[in-house]
Amino acid sequence: MTRWTNGDDTRAVSPDITDETNALPANCFTDPEIWELEKETIFSRYWLYAGHGNCIPEAGDYFTRTIGDRQVIVARDEDGDVRVFYNVCAHRGSKMVDETPMTDPGNMGRIQCPYHLWTYDLDGTLRSTPKSFEEASLNADLDDDEVQGLDPDENGLLEVQTDTIGPLIFLNFADDPPLSLAEQAGKMKTRLESLPLGEYEHARRYVSEVECNWKTFAGNYSECDHCQANHQDWIKGIQLDESELEVNDYHWVLHYTHEEDIEDELRIHDEHEAQFHYFWPNFTVNMYGTADGYGTYIIDPIDEERFQLIADYYFADSDLSEAEAEFVRTSRQLQEEDFELVERQYDGLRSGALAQGQLGPNEHTLHRFHRLVQEAYEA
Amino acid sequence: MTTTPYVGTCVDCEERRETNDPNEVVRFYRRHRAVTGHDVVWEQTPSDHGTTNVDTDVPAVVASLVTNPDEGVSLGALSAVMSELGWTVGETLETVHDHRMRGALWEPQDDHVAAV
Repeated sequence: MTRWTNGDDTRAVSPDITDETNALPANCFTDPEIWELEKETIFSRYWLYAGHGNCIPEAGDYFTRTIGDRQVIVARDEDGDVRVFYNVCAHRGSKMVDETPMTDPGNMGRIQCPYHLWTYDLDGTLRSTPKSFEEASLNADLDDDEVQGLDPDENGLLEVQTDTIGPLIFLNFADDPPLSLAEQAGKMKTRLESLPLGEYEHARRYVSEVECNWKTFAGNYSECDHCQANHQDWIKGIQLDESELEVNDYHWVLHYTHEEDIEDELRIHDEHEAQFHYFWPNFTVNMYGTADGYGTYIIDPIDEERFQLIADYYFADSDLSEAEAEFVRTSRQLQEEDFELVERQYDGLRSGALAQGQLGPNEHTLHRFHRLVQEAYEA
Repeated sequence: MTTTPYVGTCVDCEERRETNDPNEVVRFYRRHRAVTGHDVVWEQTPSDHGTTNVDTDVPAVVASLVTNPDEGVSLGALSAVMSELGWTVGETLETVHDHRMRGALWEPQDDHVAAV
């Protein structure tokens, strides 16, 4: 039974997909307080995608990434390791570097705060401060030899935990994450690390602002019951009835079988199918069955009613062939079709009529997603 | 042509923002630039934007737009006016920043400026 707002109550997402309360209550998509809750319960506890290591190949290369209210610097240090620091100076909290997209990275020998010129090595250690922090010439009540020196290790930048899957860099804001990246990724880590993801170059980025809750789009990505009616160009050549939706603890994979065998050169993976990996909470890896490349989506919330879809495409060469460019156009068409669907759904959700929707038996990937959201709220 | 008075469009990709609030185009520019590095132009602005004094002297344009100095003019409305000269949102914000750093403009409320 559908639960409307004219008297029906809502319940937590049932673990049993056959129960009628198998979906998140509608207010989880529209309530600004829920979004504030999610910043802490979802975007501060789990492993989140930070960016692609190929975009910062040299020591000192960096980009910034904003997640919720936090902004970090993702930089490659002198040893070739990628490190992530809060973009916050240890002195008095100033933001240090300006927004720098992964697609147009910067390079710096050291990280310097422009406010009072505190300067840090690429490993986050405090390298130097101006002389005014070493002597008390303006303070008549203090002798220079009373000034405590600043221990470089104790006054470095606040580092964020990082880990990688191939060239994909992940971060976790929690001091003591409940899961390692390997635990959260499960077999996705093994699968992706068996592929030569690092041999592909970033070729295109499209960023779209979509007027719906981020979970609305996540749900749409995670099922294909809507494909037959709404993606008619894309499903040509795909056997939807032979496709499979595989569910794991924190990721799920949509396997789309192709009707005809595509040349092996037109795939990065072995299986004769497209594979769309959703990695909780808001990242996807799109392995196409008809293009020698892959894509990623970041479903980045702006607030409870808008998100940015950051779509990146990776191919052997950043200069695309005509066929690759056409493939990207087809992918963009798919996105636009989905944007229309999710904005339409969100208009309905925002009207306040529906208290709690319900999921179909083939929306089990989406059910897993709703369960994870529920578990995060309760954690 | 849309029914909303303000429309901003990325100069490098097809992303656009339709809104009744000109400062939302400024916020859109900031969000979009942070992840792409792209600038934004005005695709649509109201035909009557409140001044005939549009030239490169931004403090003078601001002065002609401001009716209440305690409120100032929104950066979005100013940028929409400056688009008559072909300026992008990024170019207007950069010029406003330069004038603020020289003391010619001040910010009486968030993302609004007035002439000193």
